[in-house]
Amino acid sequence: MGDEVRPGLKYTDTHEWLKLQGDTVKIGITDHAQSELTDIVFVELPEVGKEVEKGDELCVVESVKSVSELYAPISGKIANVNRLLEESPETINGSPYDEGWLVEIEISDKTEIDSLLDADSYKKLI
Amino acid sequence: MVKRSPLYELQKKLGARFTEFAGFEMPIQYSSIKDEHLAVRNSVGLFDVSHMSNVWITGEDAEDLISLVTIEDASKITDKKSQYTAILREDGTVIDDTIFMHLGDKYMIIPNAGMDEVVTDWLNKKTEEHNICATAENVSKDFVILAIQGPKSRDTLQKLTKTDLKTVGFFGCQYIDIAGIDCIISHTGYTGELGFELQITPTKDAEGVFNKILEAGKEFGIKPIGLGARDTLRLEKGFILAGNEFEGGRTPLEAIMSWAINWDHDFIGKDALLKQKEKGDYERLTSMICSDKGIPRHGCEIQKDGKKVGKVTSGTMSPCLNTGIAMGYVHPDYREKESSLEIIIRDKPVKAKVVKPPIVPKDWAQNKK
Repeated sequence: MGDEVRPGLKYTDTHEWLKLQGDTVKIGITDHAQSELTDIVFVELPEVGKEVEKGDELCVVESVKSVSELYAPISGKIANVNRLLEESPETINGSPYDEGWLVEIEISDKTEIDSLLDADSYKKLI
Repeated sequence: MVKRSPLYELQKKLGARFTEFAGFEMPIQYSSIKDEHLAVRNSVGLFDVSHMSNVWITGEDAEDLISLVTIEDASKITDKKSQYTAILREDGTVIDDTIFMHLGDKYMIIPNAGMDEVVTDWLNKKTEEHNICATAENVSKDFVILAIQGPKSRDTLQKLTKTDLKTVGFFGCQYIDIAGIDCIISHTGYTGELGFELQITPTKDAEGVFNKILEAGKEFGIKPIGLGARDTLRLEKGFILAGNEFEGGRTPLEAIMSWAINWDHDFIGKDALLKQKEKGDYERLTSMICSDKGIPRHGCEIQKDGKKVGKVTSGTMSPCLNTGIAMGYVHPDYREKESSLEIIIRDKPVKAKVVKPPIVPKDWAQNKK
């Protein structure tokens, strides 16, 4: 309950996970994050094609009581967003690493990946 | 120092996640805000609301005191009846909204959480200033307050008492034996569903009552309910949360409480209200449903065709309607029922429609397809 850390993924200290897919990366929030937020009732996704710098606001995830801004962990162009979340935002709670993914980014600077955490380092954080 | 309910350990055992509210550490949820909300609408839920306050008003002029400090004429509220009312300042703005219960030769009022001392002091000051033979006594820490709400609330509670609960009319109040414990019961609530509230003293007797209610409600799927669902439930019905809807100083005319004003008696704040009523151009509390996607939040600007006409005081995602809903103060020219407004959420206008409360209709669970 809120403590799954999926091996093979990269992580940030703000509780996002990244799955390396060659030129793109898939991004979501961790099991720990969804468990802290509780029922997610609304997700605001970015426009496909938008350019983002590391640290820019990426999307907004809302629970009944809170609004959480997520910031881009790496720079690039938004290649794809998970439209399923517009109808069923609660998918993130049930499946944070699979059906609940948020966006895919086409990476512009591969060196930024080096500063991400691996699964073991993230596990120590939470 | 943060306070807790006498039932804190029980709340922990039931899996509560805690939050701070008005100086109290209280459960925000046990399972999920949405599940708890729907349990109350569909069946029954049990709340511990001991963070609310309890004040006894006693003395031969107790009735006069209440008539003076509230917008109600207390002589109209006979024994074993209660009333929702507001305590005003001289300038007509609300100090607190509250229920008062007429119980024999005394009254109990239930101020909001954190308002016990302010209200008690105000009442006692007025008895001195106006030579009224009455006393307000703050007994908040001696009481546990439980609310049992939902279509199956009466069936659940009936299993625990010999008193026929159908004889406790709407806004009725009386002493009663629940599960062997003497309580004060009122047919009142903050959810818009059938329900009752219990005042229990001494507090050591309350845990047993709480557990017996959970046991009695098991066949109906009863759940313990936290403050998260309490807020979504009241907001769906357009009920006021004092900290939000009275923020910055609001009068009962602005807050659409004129139905509760008894103009045929003298009360503190009456002159100010009469002046405001005469002018008529004040902002009014308005309920809205979003037709675009987005969740309105406290502080969001309300616009009409790009022009500011108001501000949101309470907003959420309605668990029943699955859309954003809000309450806020709107300029009187822009709040006709069905008219459209824009709520600005993170710089984006989200279309919303004005509705007459309740935002979610009565008996929603029975009537939904």
